[in-house]
Amino acid sequence: MRKTVFAAVMAVALVGAASVTAMAADTSITIFNSKMEIQSQLEEMAAEYSAEKGVDVEVYYSSDTVAAHMSTRYASNEPYTISMVDAKDIYSLAPDHGIDLSDQDWVKDTTQAISIGDAVYGFPVCVEARGIIYNKTAIEDTLGEEFDPASCATYDGFVEVLNALKENGMDTPVGIMKEDWSLAAHYLAEVYETREDPAGFIASLHDGAKIIEDERFNVLMDTFDLLKENNYAADAPVAAVREDTELYLAEGEIAFMFGGNWDWSVLAEFDPEGEMGMMPIPQNDDNYNTKLVGGGSKYFFIDNSDNTTDEQRQAAKDFLNWLVYDEEGQSFLVDTCALVPAYSNITLEVTDPLGQSVKGYADAGALVDNYNYLPDDHYAKVGANMQEYLAGDVDREGFADLIDAYWAATTPSES
Amino acid sequence: MDRNKMSYKVSQFLTFAGVSTILFCGVVVLPFIYGLYLTFTSWDGVSLEKPFVGLENYTAAFADSTFWAALGRTVIYSVIAVILINIVAFLLAYMVTSGVKGQNFFRAGFFIPNLIGGIVLGYVWQFVFSRAFPAIGLPRLLGTTEAGAMFALIMVSVWQYAGYMMLIYVAGFMSVSKSLMEAAQIDGCTPSQSTWYVTVPLMRASFVQCLFLSITRCFMVYDVNLSLTKGEPAGKSVMAAMHVYNQAFTYKNYGTGQAQALILFIVCAIVGVTQVYVGKRGEVAA
Repeated sequence: MRKTVFAAVMAVALVGAASVTAMAADTSITIFNSKMEIQSQLEEMAAEYSAEKGVDVEVYYSSDTVAAHMSTRYASNEPYTISMVDAKDIYSLAPDHGIDLSDQDWVKDTTQAISIGDAVYGFPVCVEARGIIYNKTAIEDTLGEEFDPASCATYDGFVEVLNALKENGMDTPVGIMKEDWSLAAHYLAEVYETREDPAGFIASLHDGAKIIEDERFNVLMDTFDLLKENNYAADAPVAAVREDTELYLAEGEIAFMFGGNWDWSVLAEFDPEGEMGMMPIPQNDDNYNTKLVGGGSKYFFIDNSDNTTDEQRQAAKDFLNWLVYDEEGQSFLVDTCALVPAYSNITLEVTDPLGQSVKGYADAGALVDNYNYLPDDHYAKVGANMQEYLAGDVDREGFADLIDAYWAATTPSES
Repeated sequence: MDRNKMSYKVSQFLTFAGVSTILFCGVVVLPFIYGLYLTFTSWDGVSLEKPFVGLENYTAAFADSTFWAALGRTVIYSVIAVILINIVAFLLAYMVTSGVKGQNFFRAGFFIPNLIGGIVLGYVWQFVFSRAFPAIGLPRLLGTTEAGAMFALIMVSVWQYAGYMMLIYVAGFMSVSKSLMEAAQIDGCTPSQSTWYVTVPLMRASFVQCLFLSITRCFMVYDVNLSLTKGEPAGKSVMAAMHVYNQAFTYKNYGTGQAQALILFIVCAIVGVTQVYVGKRGEVAA
């Protein structure tokens, strides 16, 4: 008897569950977000979007690295409808798992979409760039005069400004983030990126060229040494906590930090009204001391597997179009998330000061492209080496040897 | 009914152990076999194809010097941590069974660190090491030297596991009959002699169990490693499990990572089984 009752209850529960699913929105899509700083904005938007369009949108976030999280999701055969990943992940994931988006309208309105062969896979979420972030107010208060970032274009100009700051009481005007991605994937990567043929250069390193003989390497490392000398955490640089460094910058205890416009989300927590900006890495090379390095950052791709239905794929495409062409979508990207849009048809004013700097350089055509084909282990392995260099455990020759050893053992990805 | 019939035996087995056997196969045996299969492919973790490469991953795993460095580091960490965990746990257990006032309160208190998850615990201690330590003039442990990071890891592990092992030792202490202690003392033992010569040998099972648990946990440490040191400085505090994870998911060499996981498993199994075998051999029954 008991069994029958139990079975009946289960049956009712099952039917109930099925009908609830049927009653909810017709289509539901999942979005994987890998930009932590916009998670709450995305969730709010998803709720509104669901109510308005009748498409149920769920947003997920993982603190894992993007590549690692996507590996585990695909390993367990549970893909998201739309996934936000880094450029390099588009190259590794999309040919197998993404759908071709070349028939979409937004393709013609951006220069940053990622295509492989004839197919367009990656929808650029925003433009991001790297350079030196400066706290204008702090510099001007210390020096008592107007600060023009152009005066820091060259190595010597930067030395002068740093010395002037030190004479006026700011003993250590620089902060360096010790994170391996910041050191190897952002700073050192500029050695590869700021030249005519990054892929050719990397291939030559793989074939045995010595990076220590490269001019760009030495120019950028000279500036890195200068940053190191003036680092507020010089006695224990790898113990520096990112939040602390950004707090000091926001409060004006230091004036410069190498970073990118994404740092605004952290800086704004400490000083939302701060007058800051971004400038290129000071260096004695006139080709590159007027340009930031960057471009499209974070890409959406749409899953092609059987786990996703055609209706879901259509809803996903509609969502991407909404972001680019609907006023609410545009305002969501630019005003709510404070991103620099990658689409020429979006004319809304960028709100944050670092984003404004980036947009300025981008509009002037002064952005050096990202190199998106560095191998997955580059930032971790060479980043660890660069931490040793930052801590003073190896000298420049030693560091160069470590980079050479890395490339000798690594086959560069095709590009 | 013939109780010697195969069908009877099978049905009896399935009745009592069927569900757990199926679950065990589903979540342990099958993934293990599938993992073994993946070590023979050059899968990157996401692509649809899994090209067969034979023993290449094992060659790569053996040639990977950072893996052996991480494994060596894990052995050093485990040896020191296991010894300290068990000394501290034993002393705590001795204290909270000796009739100290409020001993139940102490038992609960010492056990609590074990209830906090490894990740949270790592972040809590990261705060202590990187803010509180410098503030009171102690040296920075994290992000400076390898020894500092290892010391921090060991300290946190001892703090985390000592309370748990303490419970097992407490059970050991309680299981030894008071009459034996009394008999020893009548024969002229001091209280500390009776503990050392009578109670401790009878608690051998607790030692075997605690050592086994602490050894396996230390060898497989990942969560505290991730949240406390993240492998820094310069990858010098990356433990074996973290290296395996990085190899498989961050560097996208799934096969090589899996092969290294297998090596780690074998090392861990050999150490664990030997320790239990040696420990059990000399066990005395009361």
